[in-house]
Parts: sequence; structure tokens; C-alpha cells
Amino acid sequence: MTEQPGKTVAAPMAGSVHQILVSQGASIGRGDELVVLESMKMEIPVEAPVAGTVSQILVTVGQKVAEGDALMVIS
Amino acid sequence: MTERVDNGPGGAASSRDWSDGVAELEKRREFVRQMGGAEGVARQHSQGKLTVRERVALLADPGSFREFMGLMGHGVYEGAELVRLTPKASVDGFCRIDGRKVVISGGDFTVRGGSGGGAHGGLGMELASNRRALEWRVPYIRLLDAAGGSVRSFEEMGRTYLPDGNSFTAPDVQLLRAVPVVSAVLGSVAGLPAVNACMAHFNVMVKGTSQLFPGGPPVVKAALGYDVTKEELGGWEMHTSQSGVIDNLADSEQEALGMVRRFLSYLPSNVWEMAPRTEPCDDPGRREERLLGIIPTDRRRAYDGHKIIEDVADRDSFFEIAPAYGRARITGLARLNGYPVGVMANNPMFGASTDVAAGEKVMRLMQLCDTFHLPIVSFANEPGFMVGLDSERKGIERAGARMVIATCDSQMPWATIVVGQLYGVAGQCHHRPTGMFQRYAWPSASWGSMHIQGGAAAAYRREIEAAPDPEHRRAEIEARLEAIASPFRTAEATGQDIIDPRDTRPLLCEFVEEAQPVLRSQLGQTCVPYKP
Repeated sequence: MTEQPGKTVAAPMAGSVHQILVSQGASIGRGDELVVLESMKMEIPVEAPVAGTVSQILVTVGQKVAEGDALMVIS
Repeated sequence: MTERVDNGPGGAASSRDWSDGVAELEKRREFVRQMGGAEGVARQHSQGKLTVRERVALLADPGSFREFMGLMGHGVYEGAELVRLTPKASVDGFCRIDGRKVVISGGDFTVRGGSGGGAHGGLGMELASNRRALEWRVPYIRLLDAAGGSVRSFEEMGRTYLPDGNSFTAPDVQLLRAVPVVSAVLGSVAGLPAVNACMAHFNVMVKGTSQLFPGGPPVVKAALGYDVTKEELGGWEMHTSQSGVIDNLADSEQEALGMVRRFLSYLPSNVWEMAPRTEPCDDPGRREERLLGIIPTDRRRAYDGHKIIEDVADRDSFFEIAPAYGRARITGLARLNGYPVGVMANNPMFGASTDVAAGEKVMRLMQLCDTFHLPIVSFANEPGFMVGLDSERKGIERAGARMVIATCDSQMPWATIVVGQLYGVAGQCHHRPTGMFQRYAWPSASWGSMHIQGGAAAAYRREIEAAPDPEHRRAEIEARLEAIASPFRTAEATGQDIIDPRDTRPLLCEFVEEAQPVLRSQLGQTCVPYKP
């Protein structure tokens, strides 16, 4: 596992990125919706595990992701 | 009796009573209390681990520990006098947890790394801890911190031995059908202790200090030629989320032992007794307003399945089992009006579709409830078994067959609340055609042997292809089918009861009350044995 500064937000399951709800630099609270994935014909919100600032967005809308893939980094 | 010729080692023949023998006893106990010695204890602490005796003190009700086989070990003598006694590599005894008797068997890593050392004794040996739990019919708790067999024992014995560990493990197999068994992995555990971690109804490990494998990194290097760390090979990431070998993860040993206590609190002491009801702390008639909107009206939106359990079960009574593994299903234990129940729910946040991992979890929960006579409550939102290449590689059909069998073989009272979708054979596994089975549906339910979307495209393929505007025709057919998919149409024909979601808790509390006499009539061992 590579250590990154901040907390990595991982995809809970395989799917595609349906929406990105925050922009880089945004300050967010714990539990805020960051990304919506589309998988199994469902829209699955991915929530912030911690409060902080969105320091990196690692995916784009439409991109396919596997379970555990990093979506964002919160610092 | 006033005269004696000898009163034992170290005793003076002139004593008028047995106080010299008692002094000898105390001397030996003192050696045993030191475990593997100060150095070993310091090493244990420096690795962030507690000693086995500290663990026992944390787990047991204060003052309740009654050690057995506590004088067993390896004595070194000068003449007739004992100069050192290294205790056996485990601490075993009875204690009470929340007032109820249990047997604890704790590995002592400070003594030869917890290795049994091949010293298996013979005629005249006292009853082993697993046999005591079985005969006393009380829960059995393993505190695992042992490296398994060691080749050093070959040297001590001057020979090797056949791996006949099953001679000692057979009672562990019987235990699973008789009393609650819990394993806490509290160190690096290899060999039989690693397997014993899973010979349990629940197990837990500690982040960073617990690892388990049949053979550790040096064995992997010798067999497969690559380097791997203990943590990569058998740490918490591997076992609580990928392999599912360990149910729960704790941040500290204290937390792990707390989980052991919590898990046991829902279960009876053995399969011949009813599970303990606690003083109800929540209104059985509570109607939670949030339940009305918990399922999004936009069916594509996912919701967190935990919220339903939180709103329906007694406040703060839910104990989740294996939260990081097979996350399409939530499984755990909870209380309804004080009565312990098994709970499962699909979780759309992780797709909700039962895959092989989620299925394993569910089967274990069903067997747990059957074995210990707890009713089960399921909140179904099942799109069907997980599809795709990965699912096929893992053998979803064989797993599906096992789920159908586990469902039909179970006998505990069971209530299913259909909160959302119920499709396919996985949907079928939320229903049991025999025994005390109650099903309610929420107005948000939708069901079928298959989905209308996709199903229409397959069943009406020719008609759709022959139409001047195939896409339009497909939409038309789907709209026609959707119109008859209302759960109320099913209710008209089959009598399926549809309820206001807010009535769920009151109805389930009644169900669990009604289940008690049925459960009482089912006490004893089940015909289908628990398989971890």
C-alpha cells in the first residue's frame, strides 16, 4: 500500500463514475457526498470518511473504476 | 491424623499440619504467575500486546477466574528442590462474563512462543479446556497468541510425530454444535491455532498486532520463493475484507475483548437453553418516522441499509458481524423488545446483490441463529445474485445452491420485510416455505422472478426486432409490464401483507414474542451442524 498524505477515498465497489459533486480545494464535512458511482443499475453515493479539504480528484466522469480504486484524496 | 512420615517435597516431617505443602503450592504458583519470565513479558509489552494473564483479567468478571491445570509445566530441580518451573504455554480456566460461566483458553506467547512443544501427556492427564467447556456446557473462548508446532519439539522428543492433532481437535468440532465458541486472534498465529481461529461462531483480530496463516513468511519463502511481510500475508486487510477469515477488526486488545463479551451477550450458554432476554430499554411500539422515506422514491438511488436496522431494532442494540467483508449484505445480532435476534439486510451502498462473500456471511448467520435458537429478521432488497466475470470465477451458482439448501434446511422463526427489490433465486433465498415464516412488504417493494428491464428485451426479442421502431416498442412493452408490477396487484391475488414502514418495529416485536414458544420447542442440537 502506498502511503499518501491525507485520506484516500476508495470506490466501495466496481462501477463507473456518474457524478463528481465537489471540486478541488473544496472544504467538506464528514459524511458529505463526494462522488456518485453507477453500478448494478444503481446510483451509489460515496461519502467523505473524514472532514477536510479535497486535495486531489483522481477520476473523471464516465471513468470505470474497480473496487478499492482511489477516487479522491482529502487532507 | 496427627502423625505423618512425609509431607511432600520440601516439607519438614515435624510439621503439625500441611502448611509446608501449601507453601510449596504458593512457590509453584508464583513461578507460574511469572509466565515465560520477565524478558518475555517485556517483549510482549514492547510489541504492543498484553500478557495472557492481563487479557484474562480484562475479559473476566472481577475475581471470577478459576484456573485449572495451573501447576502444569516443566520443573527444574536441584536435588529434591524445585528451582524453576516454566508453566505450560497456555492459561486455562473458568471465569464469568456478565455473570455467566465460560471456559477461557489463552495462549501464552512468552512461553516458547505459545508452542505446545509436543508435550501432549498421556494416561492421567486432566481434562483439556475444550472438553471441559463441552461437558460443563458453557461458552468456550480462545485467546490465540501462539505459533503452533515447533521443530524444537522434535529435538526434545528425539523423534518426529504424525500430525494427529485431530485427536485433540475433535472436541472443538463438537463444541460448535453445543456451545458458543469465540476466537480472539491476539498475535501472530500459525498452524493449528490459525485454523482454530475459524473453529468458532465469531472471531476478531487486532489491527497491527494480529496476523494469521498456516505458514508465515519464512515458510512462504521456502515454498514459493518470494518475500512477503506478516502483515501483507495475514494481516487485517487480508483477513477482514478480502478473505473473510476473520469477522471483526478491533483497534486494541481491549476493544477485541469487548467484542467477545458483546457477541456472547446475545447467545445462550448452550444449545439446550434459551438466549437471555435483557430488560427492554426501548418502546416496542415505537414508530420511526424516518422509515417512511428511507427508501428513495427514485429507485436508482442507493441508501445505507444500516439505517433501517437502526430504526427498527432496540436502540443501540445492533452488533455487526464481518462489516468489511461481503458488504452487499449486512449481518449481525440485535435485540427486539429485549429478545436477541439475528438480523440481515441487503446494502445498496455496495450493490445489494448477494455475491459469494455476502452469501457465506448470510449462511453463517442462519446457522448461528438455528444453532442457538434465535429468530432471524431480514430486510430484503435483493436485485439477484451478483453477475459478471468475477462472480463466475468465484462460483456463484454453487454458492447459490448452498444458499438455497441453507435456507430450506433452517428451522428458526424467520421474518422477512421486503423493502425494495426481490428478484431471482437470490430473492428466493429470502423466503422459506416451511416452519414459522412471516413476510411483510413495504409499498416500495417490487419483485419478480426476473427484472422487467432486460427481461422484456429477452422475452419479446422477435416482436421488438420486427417493429418499425424497436426502441419505442421495447419501451412500450416495458411500460405495460411495469403497470402490472405494483405490489398491490400481487397482494390482491396472493394475500401478501403490505405494511406502513413505520409499523415495522411494532410488528417485528410481536413476531419475536410469538417466536419464543416455538424456539423453546426447538431447544437442543440442530440436525444441520454449524459449519464455519
